[in-house]
Amino acid sequence: MTTASDRPSASEGVNRPHSHASKTGKGVGASLRRKEDARFLHGRGRYVGDIAVPGMLEVAFLRSPVAHARLLGVTKPAGAQDRVFLAADLPEIAPIRAVSALPGFRVSEQTALATGKVRHVGEAIAACLASSRAEAEDLAAACEPEFEVLPAISDMLTARAPGVPLIHEHWAENVFLETRREEDLSDLDAVAAAKVTRVLRTSRQSMAPIEGRGVLAEWDTRLEQLVVTTASQQPHVSKTGIAEALGLDEGQVRVIAPDVGGGFGYKAILLPEELVCCALAMRLQRPVRWLEDRLEQLTANANCREHHYIVTAWADREGRLLGCDVDATVDSGAYSSYPFSACLEAAQIGSIFPGPYILPRFRYHTLSACTNKPPILPYRGVARPGVCYAMETTLDALARQLGLSAEAIRAVNLVPKEAMPYRNLVGKHFDSGDYKEALRRAVALVDVPKVRARQAKGECVGVGLASFCEQGAHGTSVYHGWGMPMVPGFEQAQARFTPDGVLELRVGLHSHGQGLETTLAQVAHEILGVDPARVRLVHGDTALTPYSTGTWGSRAMVMAGGAVAEACRQLGERALTIGAALLQAERGEVELAGGTVRRRGGAGIALEEIARTWYRRPQNLPADVDRGGLDVTAGYRPDPDTGTHSYACHAVVARVDVETGAVTLEDYVVVEDGGVLVNPMIVDGQVLGGTAQGIGTALYEEMPYDAQGQPLAGTLADYLLPGATEVPDIRLDHMETPSPWTRFGQKGIGESGAIGPAGAILNAINDALAPLGAEVFDLPATPARVLAAIEAARR
Amino acid sequence: MKPAPFDYARPADWSAALALLAAGARPVAGGQSLGPMLNLRVATPEKLADLRHLPGYAGVTQQGGTIRIGAGTTHAAIEDGAVPGRLGAILAGVARRIAYRPVRNRGTIGGSLAHADPAADWVAVLPCFRGEAVVLGPAGERRVKLERFVTGMLATALSPEELLLAVELPALPEAARWGHWKFCRKPGEFSKATACVLAVPGEAPRAVLAALDAPPFVVADASALCAAPEAEAARLVAALDVADPWRAAIARTALRRAAEAAS
Amino acid sequence: MKRPISLTVNGRAETVLAEPRTHLAGLLREGLRLTGTHIGCEHGVCGACTVEVDGAPARACLLHAGAAEGASVRTVEGFDGDAVMTALREAFSAEHALQCGYCTPGMLVTARDIILRLPDADEARVREELAGNLCRCTGYRGIVRAILRVLAQRRG
Ligand SMILES: Cc1cc2nc3c(=O)[nH]c(=O)nc-3n(C[C@H](O)[C@H](O)[C@H](O)COP(=O)(O)OP(=O)(O)OC[C@H]3O[C@@H](n4cnc5c(N)ncnc54)[C@H](O)[C@@H]3O)c2cc1C
Ligand code: FES
Ligand code: FES
Repeated sequence: MTTASDRPSASEGVNRPHSHASKTGKGVGASLRRKEDARFLHGRGRYVGDIAVPGMLEVAFLRSPVAHARLLGVTKPAGAQDRVFLAADLPEIAPIRAVSALPGFRVSEQTALATGKVRHVGEAIAACLASSRAEAEDLAAACEPEFEVLPAISDMLTARAPGVPLIHEHWAENVFLETRREEDLSDLDAVAAAKVTRVLRTSRQSMAPIEGRGVLAEWDTRLEQLVVTTASQQPHVSKTGIAEALGLDEGQVRVIAPDVGGGFGYKAILLPEELVCCALAMRLQRPVRWLEDRLEQLTANANCREHHYIVTAWADREGRLLGCDVDATVDSGAYSSYPFSACLEAAQIGSIFPGPYILPRFRYHTLSACTNKPPILPYRGVARPGVCYAMETTLDALARQLGLSAEAIRAVNLVPKEAMPYRNLVGKHFDSGDYKEALRRAVALVDVPKVRARQAKGECVGVGLASFCEQGAHGTSVYHGWGMPMVPGFEQAQARFTPDGVLELRVGLHSHGQGLETTLAQVAHEILGVDPARVRLVHGDTALTPYSTGTWGSRAMVMAGGAVAEACRQLGERALTIGAALLQAERGEVELAGGTVRRRGGAGIALEEIARTWYRRPQNLPADVDRGGLDVTAGYRPDPDTGTHSYACHAVVARVDVETGAVTLEDYVVVEDGGVLVNPMIVDGQVLGGTAQGIGTALYEEMPYDAQGQPLAGTLADYLLPGATEVPDIRLDHMETPSPWTRFGQKGIGESGAIGPAGAILNAINDALAPLGAEVFDLPATPARVLAAIEAARR
Repeated sequence: MKPAPFDYARPADWSAALALLAAGARPVAGGQSLGPMLNLRVATPEKLADLRHLPGYAGVTQQGGTIRIGAGTTHAAIEDGAVPGRLGAILAGVARRIAYRPVRNRGTIGGSLAHADPAADWVAVLPCFRGEAVVLGPAGERRVKLERFVTGMLATALSPEELLLAVELPALPEAARWGHWKFCRKPGEFSKATACVLAVPGEAPRAVLAALDAPPFVVADASALCAAPEAEAARLVAALDVADPWRAAIARTALRRAAEAAS
Repeated sequence: MKRPISLTVNGRAETVLAEPRTHLAGLLREGLRLTGTHIGCEHGVCGACTVEVDGAPARACLLHAGAAEGASVRTVEGFDGDAVMTALREAFSAEHALQCGYCTPGMLVTARDIILRLPDADEARVREELAGNLCRCTGYRGIVRAILRVLAQRRG
């Protein structure tokens, strides 16, 4: 049973307004406990790896040990010819092509198994099948591939150096795409009171959901349908991709995403491994399963966040930005992944760099570099954590030069609430918010004077801020503009009563931690009054749900929430018609209340009874009944669809051990505005989890590569994920400025937490180091890097 | 990440264990170092000889001034106080900061020493005590001074046919002072520099600097370090020629802080 | 070569055919279809596979079948009726200590050990003891608070 609970203990000293508190304690605004918890707490979740079917074969991939080579051939183990498959054995799989519509984009072809060349360590070369994974690995270990090793591009900055080898040999250079905005900023030197230039670098990361990827493919001979159970954030997109690559009708492919152990973008991709399993299941007429292990994940798929920036910024005496000049390079890896393409990050850097600030002049140039590394995927926050890091550290550098506080320089540049809705110089359309108030609150919560007093006593401690906004749930117009191969449109939801009066909701996106089974039930409760305990969410199965582009881009609550609300509204209309007839009242005399249709102020009839009437006692139906019955599919898109802008200010107190370079986070505050929060407890969870990931970006996570393109962190003992001791007790404060453009005023906020930490933490470190004249530029700020910065300043 | 095939044997007595080793089997105790190596196929033994059920393999005994810790004693047992007296308190503090409790529940002091990862805690700390490793081989028992037990990266004084039986350490007076400092970016991460200093009244203080990708470096008489921690730490580390400047810096810090804590 | 492995799982005597190289997590999941025990790294770091072996938490990915012979194992499926586990489940839900749920079974086994072994643990100690269980979703705050809540309840 689901029970309403008190919201979980809020942090001391932090007030949390909740203007939209649900009247029943179960609707929009209620911190309802999650319906999904019970199964996970008893070990009854069902993830891909938990599903085994009789006759199933397990796959282990032979993967490339080198970053760049001609693949001369593979000798299969003796006696295993029919259990080892190479690209040539599976011609039915078309190469993956994710083509950006942006002009100049160079198209890569990624074959599901390497053909001719390997282009990154870990690229799959052969699929080896056996009745257990261990035996499949034995086969992979016994294969003998032969390579002619080529020099590798392991540093994106050398991608277009003269004489480097071409990764895709028919290209003119190792570049997927360049974008630029030209503006002559040469006059700013003369008028600016301050000018800084920073060269900044972020590391290549692994998104590292605790559950790896996994896929189980089966051919259903009765339906002549491929049934693919896969850990996907976007089952419908996977289905489209699989059908296209295998030349099947979409109706011949059913994709099921069961419980998924964390996504973060890692599972929003059409996988070469999926295609191989599908082709093999069809070929062999047996179920085929592949489960990614951590070694594969770290060495073959560290695939995000690696940016390089050269930023020059000018400001006047008050710190007002006069202009920015940005040169950004993104390491896009070897191939363009489906559906987000190799240039989604770099191509959006230009449009998101101004962040929440008023920027009058702007020049940028971005490069999506092709390298011998795993293909880039957008990780929670996509390009925003890198951009926010670059902008926020640059602002602090300007402030230091001008003798201004970090708060002051932000306050003069943030878009003021009076200007909302606001369109900035690159056309970003902010919906609502009071950015300065978030800044003010964050600064007040961390107690800056105390930090300053400790600094005066010689302590190496600092405070750092990061302000940012997060465009979320942006739709057709925006993604079309970014040239994405897959453009999201209307989100659909289906709502229907079953004969016993249970409300069934069906959505095409997927919940993998976001708690949609609870929050969408809350939305339905808000509209229909049905108890959330009597609402079932069906999601993650393309055969059972309407098409959706999936869960990513902080879109689920805005898009599916809006669609569920609309479907429930229409369903309610139909119930009212039936209810009025049963109550022998006029249609205009009845209303929905508390899970009943009732005469205004009078007696009611339960929705269960109305459902029973439609399905089982049709003799009692009114003449004007809607023949669609108690089953509605509705589409939804906010208008305008340029996205909601949640925003936040992160404030951090960090201490640096000047002897070792170790950084300790003493305090961490997030002030956040996600508009109307459908379930504040769940939003807190999203923000906290994202912030923990951002702490990883700032301080711990890095997949180093050597000059030959070898990844150097093969285990979680080398690739450090933040644990309970690395993430402080983060304090949250919420503001609530409704978005004028969404159904309940809610805003997308799922990625937000991950965006701010790198900027805020590095600013805190650099504030602490300022008396030493030292500054850290590269992420993560490892003890070795911090100490090197201190040593460099001493010299 | 599944191991290559191997066979498994559980010897009931020590002679059976030695016979298995002589036939090429690889000993396994807690499996907390060997396990990952098997899963990663870094180690591909044909057969494992599980030592955990051998009589007297785990447990702590005291005879006079000598405390004997069976090689099969787990980190968790030591953390929970299996070793008596002042020595026990010191070792419990070290044990608590090895890996994580579920790993400590199975990982053993003997397995840790025999594995000889230079960054491991017992490898770093035990040479500070004037103790011995008790080794059993085809020719019977022999003893190796603990400071000579680990000879290199994953290399020890054991031959493939020998087993580590126990470590024997002198009991310590309550007045013994102890300083221990290691640098990890997070708990359970292998140390990037470990130092410890033991000062027993009436004896020259001893120090160890370890976890620098080399066998532990023992300072048999650390009087100078205790008298002038900063300068002496700098001198000792400079002499070691640590290539990475950051590692050198934290090594200096480790020695200094351990010395300060012991004084 | 598969061979019969006998052990006690959640109070029941079981015999499973397994290769010696199969780890306990695989044996439970594939051999006994107890899929509540998850696999996250297979090198001992993430804690997703943590189960109780002979009364104490252990990594099921590092214990191979032969060594598990004769052991008594308890998995997340085996704590029904356990008062501490019941309280933890309630607290995990109240404090939103789980999102995707993948780390949760291992977290619960570790959490229960903390409650029983360290009844006086404060927040810093709870965090230290949780260091061997990674969660990529929650940022740990809810998990830490849930454990502190149960500790406080038991202290009365
Ligand atoms: C996630 C994780 C984190 C860790 N963090 C740390 C840490 O912070 N500090 C630290 O010190 N350790 C750490 N360890 C290692 C841990 O302490 C191991 O328990 C220990 O190193 C090995 O002990 P074991 O009994 O498990 O040995 P096993 O893994 O069983 O064996 C290790 C090696 O020693 C050999 N061997 C074992 N016993 C004997 C014997 N009696 N005679 C001869 N040879 C023998 C084996 O053949 C094998 O080569 C960590 C391990 C893991 C999985
Ligand atoms: S799977 Fe065992 S610790 Fe990660
Ligand atoms: S809840 Fe997803 S890993 Fe912890």
